[in-house]
Amino acid sequence: MDRRKALQKTGLFAGATILMPSMLSLFESCKTETRLDWKPLYFTDVEAKTISKLVDIILPRTDTPGALDVKSDIFIDKVIAKTYDKEGQDSLRAAIAAFNENCKENYGDIFINLNTEDSIKVLKEAEKISGKFGSGVWGAAVGPQESIGFYRSMKSMAIWAFMTSEEIGKNVLSYDPIPGKYVPCKPLSEVGNKWSLG
Amino acid sequence: MANFNINAKKEVTYDAIVIGSGISGGWAAKELCEKGLKTLVLERGPIVEHVVDYPTMNLDPWDMELRGGLTPEEKEKHYKNIRSGWVGKDTEHFWADDKANPYTEKKPFLWLRGHQMGGKSLLWGKQTYRWSDLDFEANAKDGYGVDWPIRYKDIEPWYTYVEKFAGISGEALGLPQLPDSHFLPPMELNCVEKHVKARIEEQFAGRNMTIGRVAHLTQPHNGRGQCQNRNRCSRGCPYGAYFSSNAVTLPPANATGNLTIRPYSIVQSLIYDEAKGKASGVRIIDSETNEAIEYSAKIIFVNASTLSTTQILMNSKSNRFENGLGNDSGELGHNLMDHTYRVGAMGKVDGFDDKYYKGRRPNGIYIPRYVNIDEKSKSDKFLRGFGYQGGAYRGGNPANIEAFGADYKNSILKPGGWEMFITGFAECLPYHDNKISLNSDVLDKWGQPTLTIDAEFKANEKALNKQIQEDAVEMLTKAGVKDVLGFDNEHPPGYGVHEMGTARMGHDPKTSVLNGFNQVHAAKNVFVTDGACMTSSSCVNPSLTYMALTARAANHAVSELKKLNI
Repeated sequence: MDRRKALQKTGLFAGATILMPSMLSLFESCKTETRLDWKPLYFTDVEAKTISKLVDIILPRTDTPGALDVKSDIFIDKVIAKTYDKEGQDSLRAAIAAFNENCKENYGDIFINLNTEDSIKVLKEAEKISGKFGSGVWGAAVGPQESIGFYRSMKSMAIWAFMTSEEIGKNVLSYDPIPGKYVPCKPLSEVGNKWSLG
Repeated sequence: MANFNINAKKEVTYDAIVIGSGISGGWAAKELCEKGLKTLVLERGPIVEHVVDYPTMNLDPWDMELRGGLTPEEKEKHYKNIRSGWVGKDTEHFWADDKANPYTEKKPFLWLRGHQMGGKSLLWGKQTYRWSDLDFEANAKDGYGVDWPIRYKDIEPWYTYVEKFAGISGEALGLPQLPDSHFLPPMELNCVEKHVKARIEEQFAGRNMTIGRVAHLTQPHNGRGQCQNRNRCSRGCPYGAYFSSNAVTLPPANATGNLTIRPYSIVQSLIYDEAKGKASGVRIIDSETNEAIEYSAKIIFVNASTLSTTQILMNSKSNRFENGLGNDSGELGHNLMDHTYRVGAMGKVDGFDDKYYKGRRPNGIYIPRYVNIDEKSKSDKFLRGFGYQGGAYRGGNPANIEAFGADYKNSILKPGGWEMFITGFAECLPYHDNKISLNSDVLDKWGQPTLTIDAEFKANEKALNKQIQEDAVEMLTKAGVKDVLGFDNEHPPGYGVHEMGTARMGHDPKTSVLNGFNQVHAAKNVFVTDGACMTSSSCVNPSLTYMALTARAANHAVSELKKLNI
């Protein structure tokens, strides 16, 4: 009953950043990165490639590692294989299929075969229609909750997989396993990136 | 600390038996052992030795294969517990198995249990507040329930006694409705909490915001280390910085040489000796071997946790007590209470984007009760009152931001915006028809009858919740918090995990189960000092009161034993 523990799972957030055109070049590499060099526990080959491509576009490598560098896709597959029940797995499978069906309808092919420009269009549209998480207090949702679509839930899982990876948690975010003294008010500039442990 | 004496097989006779080793059982064990009684503690679950048996205490997310996620099998095992939102891989082993220990919810009720040495003292929220005469006089004044047989002056020395040993940090406010404890230095409010506090106190006369009063050490105390602000408390604290039986009360009990703790011991019933007019011992089932064993003692403390304690008494049937030991009044099992939970408000706070904090403070703010504390604050909408917990932090859900890609990724490595929430805890009146009963149709893994729980919040609690939400929205809004969202999850009882009552204290054996020293009226060598004994529920967290009542009752028990009165 450590009531504070799950505080940050959900919450309000205001600032939305805009995708800059200059970033597009970064995605060019996506097209060729469809080789599956790991064996999924749950996903089919196409599903795995879909998730890999999604997490790579959402959290690409910059001057810090990206989602693929820290194997977020492989972890997501493991989480689905080991923590989802059959019903949850089936419904996710159906959601990926529907996502690809939508790509086919609007862009002529499944997601992994779309070029960068179209892939980004797909994600931008998905951002608009896949709901937003509501607020939470002490590990449970409070207030109105929208229904969360496949894209938002996969994005959320990608962020979780990314942020809780050892590489990001220890070397990119501010890692402080034993803080000792609580400093109640500290200039953000002295901390830098957010604390990795919640 | 090592080497608990767990060898209860050879010896079946003790001076005292304590059923349960959680917050109140641990105190009973410590007090009785230190007063020289050979004491047997019967624990339903396994031994959890301080530090040694905290397997997850140092794990980072990436150290866990599923980073805290549970398998479908684990979720099934905790299919009821999981509703709380607290159960993850880091603490899963400290929550009772819902499949092996079923219960029936006639109306929705979340019954969270910790079946191991230390019980829920490993998992609790550590919020520790003294009750006041506002609480002890409440039933007498408005006529709900029966009068408490004690007043603040009776328990005050015992609050002092347990606080000095346990170590309670907090800020003294001098409020009559929330008496100050003997405090270690308070934890600190962060900058947003200070900001909101100042603006609330400025605009609302009689309202205070303070740091939570908690059983966390802010300096070394009695050989234990101070809090390191890891906020991994529920996994067990390697520093012993928060109060648990494992770290605080059972080690000194063990050090006396008078303690025997027997794990895997499910107490089936108390044995009543009709000739002597008192209980002579207990019957247990070894949960691993299914062996039935009887232990005898001069006094018995029943501290199995509120509902389990009453379950044991109800299951202790004899010619003298056909409806359960001590149930002459017919009140055993009745008057179940809990605090209301997750109703309040939250929003965003601007202007502090360049500020952050260091450390994961396992505590938040507290707003003491301010309604119905005097004539001026009297409400015509409800009886009793409420307080708030809450806090400010940098949060946000990066998945909600409508963006992706390089800039997005870099942006979410920075902390999100500041948010602040306050959430109320309202007092629940004692209603006779909020009750538990034995259910012989649903048996547990060991063939024992289980509990049916039939309780609900009623009009008064709903009116309190309405006020909680309205006031929370108003306070945060006037404090300058943006996008304020009021909420009420309408949780049924149990979610507050402050279940109280079902074997209440009272003056009159005709209307209560226990007397003013927590003795069963009609079997004075049986003491109940966990949440079952509570006559009303106050709106403040009850654990400190269990500690104080237990130490007081143990002192009385030994004194009565010496006088040969029991």
